[in-house]
Amino acid sequence: MARTKLSDDRDLTEEQKLFKESINDWAERNFPLERVIRINREGHPFPQDIVEGLAELGLIMGTVPEEQGGMGLTWSDQIVIAEQLGYIDPSIATAAGFMAVETGWGFTINRYANEEIRERYIKPAIQGDKFVGIATTEPKGGSDVAGFESTGEKDGDEWVLNGEKTFISGVEECRRMGGGYWVNVRTGPKIPEAPHKNMTAFFVPIDTDGVQPQEPYDDAGRGSLSTSGFIMEDVRIPDEYMLGEEGKGFYYTMEGFDNARILIGASSVGVTRRILEEAADYIKERETFGRPLAKYEGIQFPFVERYIELEASDLMVKKVAKMQDQRYDEEGWLERTGKAKTYKPTEIAKWISMIKYKVPHLAKDTADDAMHWLGAAGYSSEYIFETAWRGVMSYCVGAEGGANIQKLVIARETLGKDYIPYK
Amino acid sequence: MLFVVLVKQVPDTTEVEVDEETGTIIREGVPSVLNAFDEFALNEAIDLKERMDEDVEIIAVSMGPPQAKDALKKCLAIGADSAILLTDRVFAGADTWATAVTLGRAVKKIGDVDVVFAGQEASDGNTAQVGPEVAAQLGISQLTFVADIEKVDKESGHIICKKETDEGHVRIKAELPAVIACMPEPGFEPKIPNVRDIMKAKKKSLDEWTFEDLGGDEEEYGLDGSESVVIRTYSPPPKGEGIKIEEKPEIAAEKIIEFMEEEGLL
Repeated sequence: MARTKLSDDRDLTEEQKLFKESINDWAERNFPLERVIRINREGHPFPQDIVEGLAELGLIMGTVPEEQGGMGLTWSDQIVIAEQLGYIDPSIATAAGFMAVETGWGFTINRYANEEIRERYIKPAIQGDKFVGIATTEPKGGSDVAGFESTGEKDGDEWVLNGEKTFISGVEECRRMGGGYWVNVRTGPKIPEAPHKNMTAFFVPIDTDGVQPQEPYDDAGRGSLSTSGFIMEDVRIPDEYMLGEEGKGFYYTMEGFDNARILIGASSVGVTRRILEEAADYIKERETFGRPLAKYEGIQFPFVERYIELEASDLMVKKVAKMQDQRYDEEGWLERTGKAKTYKPTEIAKWISMIKYKVPHLAKDTADDAMHWLGAAGYSSEYIFETAWRGVMSYCVGAEGGANIQKLVIARETLGKDYIPYK
Repeated sequence: MLFVVLVKQVPDTTEVEVDEETGTIIREGVPSVLNAFDEFALNEAIDLKERMDEDVEIIAVSMGPPQAKDALKKCLAIGADSAILLTDRVFAGADTWATAVTLGRAVKKIGDVDVVFAGQEASDGNTAQVGPEVAAQLGISQLTFVADIEKVDKESGHIICKKETDEGHVRIKAELPAVIACMPEPGFEPKIPNVRDIMKAKKKSLDEWTFEDLGGDEEEYGLDGSESVVIRTYSPPPKGEGIKIEEKPEIAAEKIIEFMEEEGLL
């Protein structure tokens, strides 16, 4: 029986079709599903050959301009890459998650970094030789981005950073490969009615004196990509390592989240598509009571419902990527006139929150369904479903923004600011 | 030096199904890919170009419907310098001979081609006829089952290749220009184009040539120019379950003889 295919690439550009083909060919040789499952069981360290493969294929930070070492891809291009990485890596950690962290945040760091950071960290990260990431969450919380307590004090031409960051993706990888993090600290007094003000972003190399990486957590999923944290004790960072302007860190951080969340939404489309295809192959073959499982409405109806949600999500992700392309294309207009030409950033953030909320949940729920359809086989690591379920759960509970935070953003943009619950 | 690589877009063979009623291949909704033998031929051309001291231009040429552009785009991403799609309703329905007529005319029009690379066969038809027929059209040397190209020397006017035979390999020398039909050896892994290659390919030339560009009479091309007629395409009946003998060689031999005697085969 021919394998079930649920993708339709006819609306993609010729180049985008080739991105997908190259990723598939590479995965077939180097990263088949059996290895995805095994790596997630074995846990970190993150396999170096995968980093090298992603870099060699040019999948990391494709949206960085060509003159700065990237490929000058649009977000509409990069989501095709993200979706296909989710498809070949439904654990959403090893290939897809790594690319999302590096691209979402690396691209945004690159926008606000000086040439030295670009040369020493961004370009090597694009080549797979260094790791760059984001460190916002603190022990007192992560969703309340403006509620952080880490501080930065100016001392001559340096800043002295103190505080602690926790639940940070890739600290082990960053230690091993070299690299650094986008770190937010408070550089002025906390204003109770506007706690997001006076937040400043810095690029902090992981090997800076005073940065103390912590032991990794033992996570439910995303086994290959480490999660831990680091303490900053009198970490001295040169003035030039400030990202953008002093006091504007909150706004840049929201932009970084926007970029990373688009990629997570797209990867989750790929995860869902792969789960449905793998499940379809099984339910068409496996017979109970003399009929294939796929003939039972109790199975084919929920299958169809998930498929509808998948295609709706795919369209949403493509729409959002186009909005983000317009945002950057029209940036000069916004700077000149103070008004958005097409979409306000907060409107785009609403759409991004919709996909960040919806698609990882869809992938998780589809994996859950598939395990029910397959029964004991689906629950075992012979199949991809439990690995995918544990992996995408990470993006439901918090990675790149918790589920309820996405709902707050959507409510703010639909019901209005008067109905923000925390004000 | 100028190399032309002939390529074909074929249905992904892992996905092909035959319509049981009509006996024709179901192409609707079946993904198309670059024929693996042609991909090997292109890889050989690029490998040779990289080993040569002189300037080499590689042009990928395909005959097919407009969507065959996808296969040529891939050739450009892998490393071809430019590509030409031969596409016209007049070319439709061509058998191997009419295909070779079309491709041969295109090679002539390009002019001064030193080596024409082709895959040994296409994974959809498996005729292995087009490469040799193009050589016949052009009246130039043909080398088949080529596993490796040792060198192309324009000065002496020769090409030296490693050719696969039933017994192993032979080293063979032929006069230029030549058509070589390439046969990948087991374990061959084609180059995977990366994003940078793919984006660079966007800037390379991909022309479309029609009947008007190639000239001649319409009757020479497509269905009218075909010498053969396909009556039916069908899957051969399954061979049935075989017998597996897992014994030491001498015992296995006895059992095989016993089986053949029982079946009246000896």
